Amino acid sequence: MENKISIMLVDDEEIVGKRLKKALEAEGYEIEVFMSGTAAIERLAQRIFDIVVTDIRMDDVDGIDVLDAVMKNAPQTRTIMITGYATAEIAREAQAKGAFDFIAKPFRPKDLSKVIHKATQEIKKSRSGSSP
Amino acid sequence: MTESNNESPKENKAPSLGSVLTSEDLSSRDVEFEAAADRALQERPTFSIRAKLLLAFALFFVLTLATVLWSIDIMGEVQDKILFLEVADDYKVELQQARRFEKNFLLYGTNLDDAREHAHRAQHLTERNSERFLKTVGKRPLDVMKSQLAEYLKLLDAVGRGERERHENALRDHGAKVLKLARDFVIKERRLVQSMITLARRIPFFFLAALAVLMVVVGVFLARQIIGALTRFMEYTKRIADGDFTPITPTRKYRDEFSKLALTLNRMVRELDRHHRILTESHKLRAMGTLVAGVAHELNNPLNNIMLTASLFKDEYKSLEEDERQEMINDVVDQSERAKKIVANLLDFARQSEASIRPLDLRQIVVETIQLVGNHMRMKKIHLITDLPDDLPAVHGDRQLLSQVFMNLILNAVDVLPEKGEISIRISPDRREGYLGVDITDNGPGIPEHMMGQIFDPFFTTKPTGKGTGLGLSVSRGILRKLGGYILVRSELGKGSTFTVQLPVTTVPAEISAHKAEGFSSAGSGE
Repeated sequence: MENKISIMLVDDEEIVGKRLKKALEAEGYEIEVFMSGTAAIERLAQRIFDIVVTDIRMDDVDGIDVLDAVMKNAPQTRTIMITGYATAEIAREAQAKGAFDFIAKPFRPKDLSKVIHKATQEIKKSRSGSSP
Repeated sequence: MTESNNESPKENKAPSLGSVLTSEDLSSRDVEFEAAADRALQERPTFSIRAKLLLAFALFFVLTLATVLWSIDIMGEVQDKILFLEVADDYKVELQQARRFEKNFLLYGTNLDDAREHAHRAQHLTERNSERFLKTVGKRPLDVMKSQLAEYLKLLDAVGRGERERHENALRDHGAKVLKLARDFVIKERRLVQSMITLARRIPFFFLAALAVLMVVVGVFLARQIIGALTRFMEYTKRIADGDFTPITPTRKYRDEFSKLALTLNRMVRELDRHHRILTESHKLRAMGTLVAGVAHELNNPLNNIMLTASLFKDEYKSLEEDERQEMINDVVDQSERAKKIVANLLDFARQSEASIRPLDLRQIVVETIQLVGNHMRMKKIHLITDLPDDLPAVHGDRQLLSQVFMNLILNAVDVLPEKGEISIRISPDRREGYLGVDITDNGPGIPEHMMGQIFDPFFTTKPTGKGTGLGLSVSRGILRKLGGYILVRSELGKGSTFTVQLPVTTVPAEISAHKAEGFSSAGSGE
């Protein structure tokens, strides 16, 4: 793998970004952390990430809006939704809009790593599939 | 304009989170009262509106019947009198004839028998119609008439027998007297007939007058019965619409059609109340849902932070620098603290700490609360308008809790307003009897209609995370409920919202409250 997998992490809880950035960097991912949906969407217009991890419930712009922006700009990006309290409706909505997977709060870094790993496998598979 | 009556006084009886009284206590008491009201409505003697109407018509009929019978009687009498008048005339004519023959006898010495015959005929007439004569002239004048006539006849006989010189003058005198009596008698009879006809002509007027009086009396009575009852029922429906579900109790001595209406209304109110309870119950379930989801979300954030930090702390312990370890442990403590606060808030909400209730000066509480939040308002350059009249009756409440309610409402208003917005706070004593109202009005964006039903739900908030707990209005409503008051919202999109707090006035007679104000305020806390 020549390129590092790039990850965007969006959560308005400061500690989430702080801890996960360090943990995921240690696993060899390139990671950018955003504490608001607005900032994340701005960044999405400039850059394509391989994976976006976003909290669903945020104050200004919520995770569904971030997902919409991802699907608009780079539909190949895998989006993982963090749900505070998973409601079936929001989950269905996110799935319908093309979310890759869910992870429910509270979770351990390992739990997220597993989901990210799964996404990474798919990304690699599709890359090798499209450019053998 | 959207309006939401989120609380009515009756709702106090619905169980609330943290309420001390259970719904069963209250509903069984309600049922007893309702049953008693229904019994009282049914137990009175029946005197229906229909019976009253029938009675009124019967009265009209009796009046008409009496008038008709009276008329018939009078006409019969007039007829009799007219017939008798002929008899009286005959009587007079007979006597006139008798006198003519008497004169002829005295002047020309003609036959006296004719005179005697006519006088006899007159006497015969009085005997044949003695009762009518008696009725017309009375006993004594009739006796005089009879005796005079008898005397006249005797004198005629005597003169006829040849004792002319001795009796001539007496005969003349008696003849003149008898004739005069006859004339008077006829005149009297004629007058009687006349007055009877006059009376007969007046009967229709008597009838009309009596009819008018009866109509007015019956009209006023029925109007009072029907219109009065309708007005009362209008009051009842207004009261019910205001959410007062107290059953209707009898106000009249007799049971009538309106009692049936009252019974059906009571039944309707019971059904309304039942539906209301069911609705409140389902509302409560939804509120519980919101509450649980809110708590879950609120707690999940610090919990997630703790979980992430603690997991990393455990897994990476060896590779961490000392200051990193410190930071992570601090984060865990801080986030635990945050979780604790959420739980404490929730407990506050559930407990809504016991109130110590006493008569309070509402104006003073509002003024103090305004002072407390004054700085906050000044920072946003909010323009405050107050209308707080003096001389208000004391309200029933707990100083701290009420202050908390007003603070919640004012801070909510401040939060929705842009800079230089406007808040007006006014106390209105006259909106509902027995209550003082406090209106807190902002000219902010207003509340969308779809949110109206939710704003009092716990953890419902429009504020960003960390700024509002979503418990303010919910707690305020709980407090007011406990104090026997309620809260109303009126809002218009783009124009602003008004929250109205209605609090029960302390019901102590003026003199007692003036004399024993001190004693009462300490005794009042026992409630």
